[in-house]
Amino acid sequence: MKEDQIYKDRRDKINELRSKNEKMTARERTLKAINFEEPDRIPIDNWMVPEIKKRCREYWGCENDEELLAFLGVDVRDNYGPSYVGQEFKKFDDGTVADLWGVRRRVVTYGKGTSYEGTWKEVSWSPLEHMTTVEEINAYEGWPSADWWDYSKMKEECAYWHPEYFVLNKGDRLDRTAQLKPMMYLRGIQQTFIDLAQNPEIVECIRDHIVNYFLEYNPKVFEAGGGEVDMFMMGDDVGGQRGPLLSVEMWRRYFKDAFRKYCDIAHSFGIKVMYHTCGDVYMLIPEFIDAGLDCLQSLQPEATNMDIKRLKKEFGKDLSFQGGMSIQQVLPLGTPEDVRKMVKYAADNAKQGGGYIFGTAHNIQADTAIENVVALFEAYHEYGAYS
Amino acid sequence: MATLTDLAELVESGKSKEVRSLTQKLLGENVSADAIITEGVIAGLDALGKKFEKFEAFVPELITAGLAAQEALKVLRPKMTQKALHKEIGTVVIGTVEGDVHDVGKNIVAMMLEGGGFKVIDLGVDVPPDTFIKEAKYHGADILALSALYSPTRLAMKETLQKLIDEGMRDNTKVMVGGAPIDQEFCDLIGADGYAPDAPAGLKLAKTFVK
Repeated sequence: MKEDQIYKDRRDKINELRSKNEKMTARERTLKAINFEEPDRIPIDNWMVPEIKKRCREYWGCENDEELLAFLGVDVRDNYGPSYVGQEFKKFDDGTVADLWGVRRRVVTYGKGTSYEGTWKEVSWSPLEHMTTVEEINAYEGWPSADWWDYSKMKEECAYWHPEYFVLNKGDRLDRTAQLKPMMYLRGIQQTFIDLAQNPEIVECIRDHIVNYFLEYNPKVFEAGGGEVDMFMMGDDVGGQRGPLLSVEMWRRYFKDAFRKYCDIAHSFGIKVMYHTCGDVYMLIPEFIDAGLDCLQSLQPEATNMDIKRLKKEFGKDLSFQGGMSIQQVLPLGTPEDVRKMVKYAADNAKQGGGYIFGTAHNIQADTAIENVVALFEAYHEYGAYS
Repeated sequence: MATLTDLAELVESGKSKEVRSLTQKLLGENVSADAIITEGVIAGLDALGKKFEKFEAFVPELITAGLAAQEALKVLRPKMTQKALHKEIGTVVIGTVEGDVHDVGKNIVAMMLEGGGFKVIDLGVDVPPDTFIKEAKYHGADILALSALYSPTRLAMKETLQKLIDEGMRDNTKVMVGGAPIDQEFCDLIGADGYAPDAPAGLKLAKTFVK
C-alpha cells in the first residue's frame, strides 16, 4: 500500500469502520451468512470491470488487486478453475479466435475515444447456426472434452486463500457451467429462441451435449479442489427486464433436470451453489429452490420483480442472495447519496437472519464515477454491521 | 375456406410456412394487401402482444411471430411496384447505437414495427450518430428508434439526439429509445420522446407518434 498522506486519508473511513465492526475472518463471516446465521457484518463480494479496478487502485493507493480487495474488506475470492491444456484455440484470418466450444469471437471496442472505452469478446460466428438436423449437430467436431484441462493446481490455488477468505469457484465467463448460454453461442441467440418455440429435438440435442460435458467436468473440478472450494457458481441468463425470457413450463421442460444435477454434484462434495442470472426471474425462483439452489446472484434492481425486500420476504427462508446493487442506473447515473441510500435499503431489508452477501448486480462498469464506487464501499461498511 | 382470422392465428403462433402459403392464397382470392396486413398480420401480432403483456407468451414466441409476419410481407412486397400496396402508417429508422453490437432485441422491435404497418429501415448495429441522421433525412423518417444493451454505450443515444437538434430535424422526428439499460428516467434525462420496455410496447408507442 502506498503510504502517502493523501491515500491514508482516503482509506481512513473504511479502516475505521472495519476495525469497529469485524470480529471474525472473511470465510467465517461468509459461511455464516450463507448458512442463514448472522455474522459480524454482511459479507462483501466484488464484481468490477478492469478499468474500475485500476481507478480504485489509483484512488486508494493500492499496488495490486490483492491489496485492493483486502483493503476494501471483500470477503469472497474467485477461483477460475483448472487450466486449459487442450489444443490451441484456432485463430482465423478475419481476426476471430475460436473458444472452448468452437464458437468464433472477435474483440469489439465500445465507447471509442471516451473515458469509458473498453473491449469485449463478441460472438461473430456460431458453428451450429445453419444446421437443420440432430445428425449434423451430433457430428459436430467441436464438442469440448473434460480431458482438455489440467486440474493439478486447483487445490493449491484455492487453498492459497484459506483459511482467511471464502473461495468461490466460478470458472471463466466462456466456460462457466450453464445450459442456455453455450446453446446461444453455438446456435446464435435468435435461432436458439426459434428452436425453443419450434424445434424441441434440436434444443434437446444441443443441451445434452452441453450438459454431458459439464456432468463430466464439474466432478473433476470439485475433486481436484480437495475440500478447498466453499461455493460453486454457475450462470445462465434467463431473465429479461420485465420477466423471464422463456415460460416457466419451457424452463422446466428443457433446463430443470440438469440444473438439479449441477446442484446435486456440488452438494455431494459439500459445496454450496450460487447461480448468476441477470433480469427478472421471479417466476422461476420456486423452480430454482426446488432444484436445490442455495444462493441467487444478481438481483438486478431495475428488473421488474427483483426488489430485494420482496425476495427476502418471500424466499429468504430457503434461498440466500448476493447482489442487488444497481450498475445500470444508480452507480453510473446517481449521486453518492443515492448510492448510500441503495446500500442502506438492501442492508435494512436483507440482513436479518443472515442469508445476504453485498454485491453489484453485475460488474461495475467503466461509466461509473470513482466517487460512487467510494460511496458504495463506505456504505457497505457503514450499514452492514450486525449490532 | 381459409380466412384472415386464420392468418392472424397463424401469425400469432409463429407458423412461418403456413403464413406464407395462406398469404399467397388470399392474394389469389383477390383479398387486398391492406386487409391482409390489417386483419391478418397486425391482428395476429396484437393478439400475441396481449398474451406477452399477461405473461402467456415470452421471447421465443415473440420472435417466431415476428418472423411469421415477415413471411407475409415477403409475399406482398414483390407486388409493390410503383407504390405500397398497403398504407404504411409511418417510417421508422432503427438501429443499435455506436459501440454496441447487440441486435436481438432491436430485431424483434423492427419485426414488430414492420408487421404493425410501419416502413422500417434497419441500419443494423454499431451505428454512428451521423449515419442515423443521414438515413433519417434520406428516408424522411417520422421516428428514430435507438437501441442499446451494454449500459456504457447508451450515452451514444444522447449524442445522436444532439446531432438531430444541430441538423434542425428534432421538431419533425420523434425519438424512441429501448434496450435493457434504458428506462423512462434515462429517456427523460436525454430528452427522447418515448421509451418502451419491450417490443409490443414499442409498437404501441410508435403508433402514438404518427396519430
